[in-house]
Amino acid sequence: MPSRVDLIRDVLDKGVVDRHGREMGRVDSIVIALRPNRPPQVTAIEIGPAVLAYRVRPVLGRLMSAVEHALGIDQGRPLRIPFGDILGIHSHIKVDRAFGETVAATVEQRLRAWVSALPGSS
Amino acid sequence: MSAIVDLVLGVVTSIGGFVEVGSISTSAQAGSEFGFQLLWAVAAGTVMLAMLAEMSGRLAAVGKQSVAGAVRERFGIHFQAVPLVAELIIDVLLLTAEIGGVAIAVKLLTGIAFQWWLLPIGVVVWLVLWVSGFAVVEYGIGLLGLVTLAFIVAAWKLGPDVSDLAKGLVPTMADHDMTRYAFLAVSILGATVSPYLVNFYSSGTIEEKMKEQELWVNRVTSYAGISFGGVVAMGVLVTSAMVLEPRSILVNSYEQATLMFVPTFGRWAVALFAFSLGIGCLGAALEITLNAGYLLAQVFGWEWGANKPRRDEARFTTAFTFILVLALAIGLIGFDPLKLTMICVALTVVIMPLIVLPFLVLMNDSRYVKGHTSGPIGNGFLAALTILAGLLALVVVPLEILGG
Repeated sequence: MPSRVDLIRDVLDKGVVDRHGREMGRVDSIVIALRPNRPPQVTAIEIGPAVLAYRVRPVLGRLMSAVEHALGIDQGRPLRIPFGDILGIHSHIKVDRAFGETVAATVEQRLRAWVSALPGSS
Repeated sequence: MSAIVDLVLGVVTSIGGFVEVGSISTSAQAGSEFGFQLLWAVAAGTVMLAMLAEMSGRLAAVGKQSVAGAVRERFGIHFQAVPLVAELIIDVLLLTAEIGGVAIAVKLLTGIAFQWWLLPIGVVVWLVLWVSGFAVVEYGIGLLGLVTLAFIVAAWKLGPDVSDLAKGLVPTMADHDMTRYAFLAVSILGATVSPYLVNFYSSGTIEEKMKEQELWVNRVTSYAGISFGGVVAMGVLVTSAMVLEPRSILVNSYEQATLMFVPTFGRWAVALFAFSLGIGCLGAALEITLNAGYLLAQVFGWEWGANKPRRDEARFTTAFTFILVLALAIGLIGFDPLKLTMICVALTVVIMPLIVLPFLVLMNDSRYVKGHTSGPIGNGFLAALTILAGLLALVVVPLEILGG
């Protein structure tokens, strides 16, 4: 982990891999806690299309949240990973998670059920 | 040894994979209306594409990042949102046009209307991507695409005057219909410097696991392969100029373009033209479909790659399938393949500045290319290209209306 981290340059929009090196997504948002009479504190990174869309335009974020809700995949999303669970910041951001056990894998797993049903998918 | 094989395959398949619906239509129209006068536009577009391909390959080999992934990381989603959406729209429309190109080719061989072939061709594209790895898509179709060398053979057999060809490589003012001339020049650039090619090239470099030590392979493949490919596009223009222009035949459809092969190949003309068009467009359709999947997966950080089992990258697979279905749906609604192609090349020119500009930054950022940053020539080229792309983006829509 570098001693000094530029959040925009080194973290935001960077690829995230799980502890096994599997791609999980990108850092779509950074959560910063504002504390009275103390400096703001970076608490977590977030992965999820709704927070990403919200960054582009808030209305797009709300639209994406509505789509996720309609598809029944909004439970627990976006995935929020505490900053303390970041294992390393290099070309990718490595986090102490297993992709398949997180809500970031919800869409992948649903689609996989369909894709796996076709011959030759594996 | 492996690097040499990669090099030869890369160069040969770049030649075979160069010509597709955009380059055939723009070059054929340019030749039939302005003789050799627009050869310079093909040459300029080829040089631009070769330089951008070399840079995107260098970025991928050294930084292990595709262009789309690097742009998301370096510039953020705010910058990328517009070019991403624009590139996806162009990919879908161009994919429709390429599938249309294959369908026209089959129509030329069978006589059955091209609309009937759209769906079967879409299924073939999907099946090839479903069962094949990257090598089949890139090398297999590229090798089959060597049939497009027929355009060079045709031009050679027609015996063009070398000094006339040389004059065509120097930009000059048109002696008639200047607006149309300018429109075709811009269209040739748009057809040659396709955004999908740039990202596909960098993704392919990652798929092939090219190492930093093999940058020379990337350099030779991009410059030699694409330059020779450009010669095939010039063959289209020269053949069209020597056969169609003297007879005042305008290329208003692909069927008319077929006539350019008749003096050289006689009764084989239709079949050869159909195979050249069909295989060129099929290769491009496969690349565009795959690139749409690459693009979405790289921007959003999904698992991707043509060589991985499809079930392990369900979002990537679904993404390229969705884009293919969308393109087919547009095709089935009804379209004119030639007109759609010309719209696509004009749209490409509109977004070209947003495609080129990031290279200026990325190729000078040592976090992505380490010590392989661009020198004064590369930077000068990129700066000039960015300005040129900006100017072209401003004029292309008026030119499309007035000269298209």
